[in-house]
Amino acid sequence: MQSAAAQGGTVRVLARLLNGGLNGTSVFAGGLLVLLAVIVGVPVAMVALMSLRTGFPGEGGPLTLANFISVYADRSTYEVLVNTVLFATGTVAVTLLFAVPLVWLLMRTDIPLKKTIFVLLTVGILIPVFLRTIAWILLLSPRIGLLNQWLSQIFGLEEPPLNLYNITGMAFVQGVSFVPSAFFMLAAAYRSMDPSLEEAAYTSGVGKLRTFLKINIPIPMPAIAAVMVYLFMTGIAVFEIPAIIGLPARILVLSSLIYTSANPATGLPDYGTAGAYGGVMLLAGLILAYFYVRVVRQGKKYTVITGRGYRPRELALGRWKWPAMAFVFFYLAIEVFIPFLVLLWTSLLPYMRLPSAAALATISLKNYLSIPDYVGARPFINTAILMIAVPTTTMVLSVLVSWVVIRTQVSFRGFLDTLAFVPHAVPGILLAVGLAYLGLAYRSIFPLYGTVLIIVLAHTIHWIAYGTRTTNSVMIQVHRELEEAGKVSGASTPRVLIRIVLPLVAAGILNSWIWVGMLSYREVTMALTLYTRHNVVISTVIWQFWGSGWIPEVSALGVVLILFAVIVVGALRIVLSKVGEIGAAT
Amino acid sequence: MKRLKFLVITVITFIAVVASVGHAANAPLDELIAAAKKEGVFEFYAPSTLTPQGAEELAAAFNKKYSLNIKLNYNPSGSMTRDVGKIVGMAATGVPPEWDLMVVHDGGHSSLWLKKLHKPFDYTKVGVDPQLVGYDNGTIILANQFILPAYNKKILPPQDVPKSWEDLLDPKWKGGKLGMGTATHHLARLATFWGEEKGTKYVKALAKQQPSLGRLGEIYSRLVLGEVLVAITMTDSYIHSAKRKGAPIVHAEGIEPVISPVYNAGVLKNALHPNVGHLFAVFLTTPAAQEIWEKYGGQTSAFVSGTPAYKYAQGKKVLYMAQDQVKMVDRLTKEYGKILGFTKK
Repeated sequence: MQSAAAQGGTVRVLARLLNGGLNGTSVFAGGLLVLLAVIVGVPVAMVALMSLRTGFPGEGGPLTLANFISVYADRSTYEVLVNTVLFATGTVAVTLLFAVPLVWLLMRTDIPLKKTIFVLLTVGILIPVFLRTIAWILLLSPRIGLLNQWLSQIFGLEEPPLNLYNITGMAFVQGVSFVPSAFFMLAAAYRSMDPSLEEAAYTSGVGKLRTFLKINIPIPMPAIAAVMVYLFMTGIAVFEIPAIIGLPARILVLSSLIYTSANPATGLPDYGTAGAYGGVMLLAGLILAYFYVRVVRQGKKYTVITGRGYRPRELALGRWKWPAMAFVFFYLAIEVFIPFLVLLWTSLLPYMRLPSAAALATISLKNYLSIPDYVGARPFINTAILMIAVPTTTMVLSVLVSWVVIRTQVSFRGFLDTLAFVPHAVPGILLAVGLAYLGLAYRSIFPLYGTVLIIVLAHTIHWIAYGTRTTNSVMIQVHRELEEAGKVSGASTPRVLIRIVLPLVAAGILNSWIWVGMLSYREVTMALTLYTRHNVVISTVIWQFWGSGWIPEVSALGVVLILFAVIVVGALRIVLSKVGEIGAAT
Repeated sequence: MKRLKFLVITVITFIAVVASVGHAANAPLDELIAAAKKEGVFEFYAPSTLTPQGAEELAAAFNKKYSLNIKLNYNPSGSMTRDVGKIVGMAATGVPPEWDLMVVHDGGHSSLWLKKLHKPFDYTKVGVDPQLVGYDNGTIILANQFILPAYNKKILPPQDVPKSWEDLLDPKWKGGKLGMGTATHHLARLATFWGEEKGTKYVKALAKQQPSLGRLGEIYSRLVLGEVLVAITMTDSYIHSAKRKGAPIVHAEGIEPVISPVYNAGVLKNALHPNVGHLFAVFLTTPAAQEIWEKYGGQTSAFVSGTPAYKYAQGKKVLYMAQDQVKMVDRLTKEYGKILGFTKK
């Protein structure tokens, strides 16, 4: 049924192409459509194929529903689904609890140290999630958590009051880690919000808190809702926190089942079961993507962003400045400072231990000096390749798609735009499992398994939706008159694109290029699923070291990377200070 | 005089017979060396702990011992489980394996053996101790791991140190005080010693203790921190590492049986350079190779006299997995994973 519908869609697109006459633009757009259909469709098709087979990649065999029956006839699958929904929902709630006030404070008020806070938020993205988790374990573990020990002593409690090892704990740690992404996604909406409503409220004598609750939350609600959907989709696909905090307490979520099916601790991988679990995840992704599109469209319908020029007035916080600063620095403490201090402390020790005079006597720089010995150059080279190749391919594809969608009259441009958005509905872990299956089963036609290129491909597909949303919004701001002037002057379409459009959108694209590069740097789920010895990257090295118990060594690596990131991000902030914050063009 | 003549002839005849027998014994090895020489190169898959330097040292010692000039390409392991799966998939499509000789744990080789993906060789013919040969002449044991419960000696009082596997079922360990790594095959191996019924009952009782779960390295880290008080199973490589770094993690010595998974070296079916692979597998059991393996990997074979593993195993009840137990261990590993909560029930 679906196949027939898909065929019908393809036929309609082809018919439109032919009826419209095949000019150069249509052929180019058609080629782009085919390319996107292949790179997005093939991994998804692989997930479908592997879910219908029981053997190993390459073994073939008849198609069967056995995997689906074994997975969905099992009552415990539904317990896992409930866990997944609770975890993702809690994660979104925690993220918004921090992100919305933060973005309001930084975009709409005169809070001090804005530039520093922006840099620290960006640095927060670069700290691997599980390294932060160590800090949380040291604080909130029922047995050794410092906070639990203090609270128990102060209040004379017999049982530890806080416990990290439950869904709330998982959602808290994961939610905090999503805050920078949510912040940068919401920043654009808050920055471009017409301040006249706030000003009217203040003029009418309404207080700052009430204005925040009645105006600053409701007006950008479509943007917040879109971010919620985005975060929820990400929340059901991530697996680091479920593996580190959930597994010790036997709390399983869908992503952990997919990962352990494709990467079992012992025995052979069971791609069929992974595919069957992925089916429900894919379905959830598609439904959420549908809502995401609807929410974004609703947002456009009710927007109060006007075309007239205005300069948003910053709200003077007055006596609220210090509570606001305390909130920001509380967040930065749990997101950046405490994890960094824990990393720094651990990196100096021969083995991980709580602070004490005895521990202090053992500190040295040995773990730093031995980084080249136990890491080697390959992960750094591969990560550098990722950080350059992924944003470059993503943004080149995005610019081309957006140019067709925004700037041409090609009849199927809407379909192309939708196709570019589809990867947003495919959870990263599923995309990676699909590509791994493709690489293993059909290596003669897809000889990328085990190379860094397969990770480049996975990341590019994954972020093409983000890239095209960015380039769409940037390109729509450039008036057509400039291109028309170019064409009237005799310039060809490619020349107009290269000489007029690209320079005008370059700043926004560069901003997104950096953002995608950073996301690619820290991404671990897909890289780990596609990981072999030859395509190891820094994020997988860190994950493997953690799994091997090499915490001090990996902490030293983490500290070096964070310091490096602070320097690079700080420099980029200076260079791009006139463009806007990194990631702002969402 | 006649007697003397007879004696001399007898002695000469005896020497000639012994010499010819000796030559006959060396002949298969000579043939293997000659065949390996023609291949000139081979792909060697081994744990990443060996490191490229360790592989280079092994290659140099190998070439010296057999007067060869073979080029060894070292392929460090990423995920052994996935790489074994990759070999199975490649074999299904008829593509030759990427590696000639694979050194992986016996769990990995058992999967290959069940799929008949070894290229067997009569290793005993070239002088290898039959004890080292497994999986229908498909593999040679290269090194042993030793598995026991482990604890933090600075945190756990001596009177609480477990003295037997059953001690871990004491209610005092309930509620996350025990830690269990993903290597549930350790417990499945215990079941081969105790019998399936007792083994399964034991694992169910352990599950009721609600141990903290995670990868073995994570359990080790939590043990160091004091988050878990006793790791139900811990490999000796972590104990060696702890000793080197001064971390207070030790095995609960005295508990028996000591579980001993092994690293096997096996040449893969349709390997492009099988003779070098077989010869190198033989070489890995020599004292020279064992010394290099210990230097980099930290483990040696309990079946090669004089090695640290050999000395450790003396006088202890050590549990090795026999070939006919592979299927049972494979099945119970998955079942115990479910019972303990690593995967859904």
